[in-house]
Amino acid sequence: MGKAIIEVQDVHKVFDQGAAQVEALGGVTLDIHEGEFTVLIGPSGCGKSTLLYLMAGFEQPTAGRILLDGREIAGPGPDRGFVFQDYALFPWKTVLGNVMFGLIHNGWSKSEAQRVAQEYINLVHLGGFENAYPHTLSGGMKQRVGIARALAYNPKVLLMDEPFGALDAQTRKHMQRELVDIWDKTHKTVVFVTHSVIEAVFLADRIVVMTARPGTVKGIVDVDMARPRDYTGEAFLAVRRRVLNLLEEEVEKEIRLQEQAGEV
Amino acid sequence: MGVSWRKHKSSRATGSRWWLPALPVALFLAGWQLLAGVNLINPSLFPPPTEIASELAELYTSGLPTRSLLIGHVTATLSRLLVASVIGILSGTLAGALMGISSRLYRFFDPLITVLMPVPGIAMAPLFIVWLGFGDPTIIALGSIAAFFPLAYNTAAGVRSIDPQLVRAARMMEAGKGTLLFDVYLPWAAGYVLVGVKLGLARCWRTIIAVEFIAAASWGLGYMIWDAAEYLRAGVVYGGIFLLIIIYFVIEKGLVNTLEKFTVERWGMVQR
Amino acid sequence: MNGDSGRAAAKSIVEFLFPFLVVGLLWELAVRLHLVGMEMLPSPSVIVGKLWTLTIRGVLLHHLASSLYRLAIGYVLAVGLGIIVGVALASRRLLREMFAPVLSMLISVPTIAWVPVLLITMGLGDRTVITAVFLGGFFAITYNTMRGIEMVNQGQLNAARIMGVSGWRLFVEVLLPASLVSVITGLRLGIGYSWRALVGGEMLSALVEWGIGKMVYQARFWNDVAVMLMGLLIIGFSGFLLDRVLLKWLERETVEKWGMLAKR
Repeated sequence: MGKAIIEVQDVHKVFDQGAAQVEALGGVTLDIHEGEFTVLIGPSGCGKSTLLYLMAGFEQPTAGRILLDGREIAGPGPDRGFVFQDYALFPWKTVLGNVMFGLIHNGWSKSEAQRVAQEYINLVHLGGFENAYPHTLSGGMKQRVGIARALAYNPKVLLMDEPFGALDAQTRKHMQRELVDIWDKTHKTVVFVTHSVIEAVFLADRIVVMTARPGTVKGIVDVDMARPRDYTGEAFLAVRRRVLNLLEEEVEKEIRLQEQAGEV
Repeated sequence: MGVSWRKHKSSRATGSRWWLPALPVALFLAGWQLLAGVNLINPSLFPPPTEIASELAELYTSGLPTRSLLIGHVTATLSRLLVASVIGILSGTLAGALMGISSRLYRFFDPLITVLMPVPGIAMAPLFIVWLGFGDPTIIALGSIAAFFPLAYNTAAGVRSIDPQLVRAARMMEAGKGTLLFDVYLPWAAGYVLVGVKLGLARCWRTIIAVEFIAAASWGLGYMIWDAAEYLRAGVVYGGIFLLIIIYFVIEKGLVNTLEKFTVERWGMVQR
Repeated sequence: MNGDSGRAAAKSIVEFLFPFLVVGLLWELAVRLHLVGMEMLPSPSVIVGKLWTLTIRGVLLHHLASSLYRLAIGYVLAVGLGIIVGVALASRRLLREMFAPVLSMLISVPTIAWVPVLLITMGLGDRTVITAVFLGGFFAITYNTMRGIEMVNQGQLNAARIMGVSGWRLFVEVLLPASLVSVITGLRLGIGYSWRALVGGEMLSALVEWGIGKMVYQARFWNDVAVMLMGLLIIGFSGFLLDRVLLKWLERETVEKWGMLAKR
């Protein structure tokens, strides 16, 4: 187990929604270990994406703090990479231009940036598409660009917000396998948000299960299995069951909450 | 560069800061009044707001009790707007619908419309004065033409965008040509037609004011402003433009938005 | 390939000009058969003859050049200031709340209505026309720039920010290209308004001697309908060309190529 690279310390997050206030996170404390693949999972609306946005620095916690390498996160910065659910590629740049973006703006020379970008484009199997514009690519290919763009400038941590959520089931499975390949080569610290238990068990070293709103840590499941994992293996199913058990209570709680809200 | 504008957008009630937009206007008017008052800016070119108001009031009372001069100008312009926009909107919608249904007609008239559309109405005024003389006929004709183009253009685009399934379904139910046009094509294109009405009305209004500058006999807001400018009565010029803003604001907010509410919005074709 | 596209372009030009030919022939016929009076509606052949004499005498070129000169100055000023003000309004909430309502009211004022004010305050010459051209373009460009920047995808902004891009570079590299669809809409609307303001301004400014609008206006004193019609055709074609050749080209080379235009 690596040292803690991200420390989440009793973080609360409250959103104003008109006159009402919504408590998204209700005191989360969590360590993310260096070189580990951590997956955040929980019922919808549990604040898992919010937690990721706080780590990215897109939002600020209402209370508590998050440390990266011992320093408090004040805003977004290139020591982290982010992969968005809706890709968020720059449509006015080619595949190469998108992947080079972070390099150019962080001190690489143009030729060096081009060389490094090409390396990562090859890593995500997009060789030959360097000069294509994003709108000509399929969803899976777009997300490969998103991953290459986030990895290219070598951030310490890769944050992924349901990156395969918008893909069809086939592509999704394929991308999961590729992500495992990429991770095997880079051993980057990854924080990955999903609502799919199968995806979590397939990818993670550690699965952090969160409670229904306001989100807190319900439990942590360590996954000690060699990769690539077999979706139907005995061990896989056992871990899946453990995560599901933790989740089910929360999902039921969430449904009850919604019903109560409906009655009022 | 701040990027925080989005975060607050939905969170605050809008009512609490209503006075903010009034602030620069009030400051501007107060500054104007003050500077003109101490002759720092030439008051014959920039008469202070109070004088503009009193000029307008004078225009309103002159001619009373039989016919107020100001009201006369306003009603002359508005009645021209009414007649011209009705003619332009109806003929434009019809022409657009025909162009939308027949792609041969579309190919023929599309180039003509795209070239004629950027010609401002005021440029056609000399020609129409030769043809129709000064006054209402020229102004109304040019106003109608101004409204015609956006309607024809947008209706054609709307009808051409129709879902062919819908036409097939209607044909299956043995709908006649007229039914097809009025019950299928035009309602489908309603969103486009409404955009056209908005644009057409705005163009019609603009053109009528502009043409009144040079082709009006003796009535109309455009004539009033132009006449005042000739005699260097700056107060009436500013007052007239102020009236233009107010009148058009009322027309757009009152008329067009109501129309929208009762048609396409009710049919769920646009989201608010 | 090249020959094919050349032939296609030639075909589309012929298709474009065909209606004008038909209308011209019918018109010529109507005049020759004395269905309409020559002094009310001179035949196309007379108009073309007029066009020819005015061209070889250099008069037409002089008119056109004066107009284009005023348009260029006024429009370039409108583009520069319009984009700056639009960006300022979009990025500072206080500014927007203060000035956006004023702006939307000022947009509805017919540009031509400013001309009397300008005639009083700026004299009867070039300055008035150029200012009218500027005002015509300015409001549309400001408004659309503001709307464009407000609607920039938050994900794209976040992606740039986490790669360490902020301030001026964020504006040039992300905000501007991301809002380009709307900015170009503003540019296209703006040139239409500017063009109309130019023609109207030339007609109404007594000390302006040259300009395509002036040419049409002066024809009134000799009841020269042929020159009026010729002028109108030139005004129409030039306005059309400015939009189609200049701005449509810009649109095709940028947002259309990048797939940012909504598919109709």
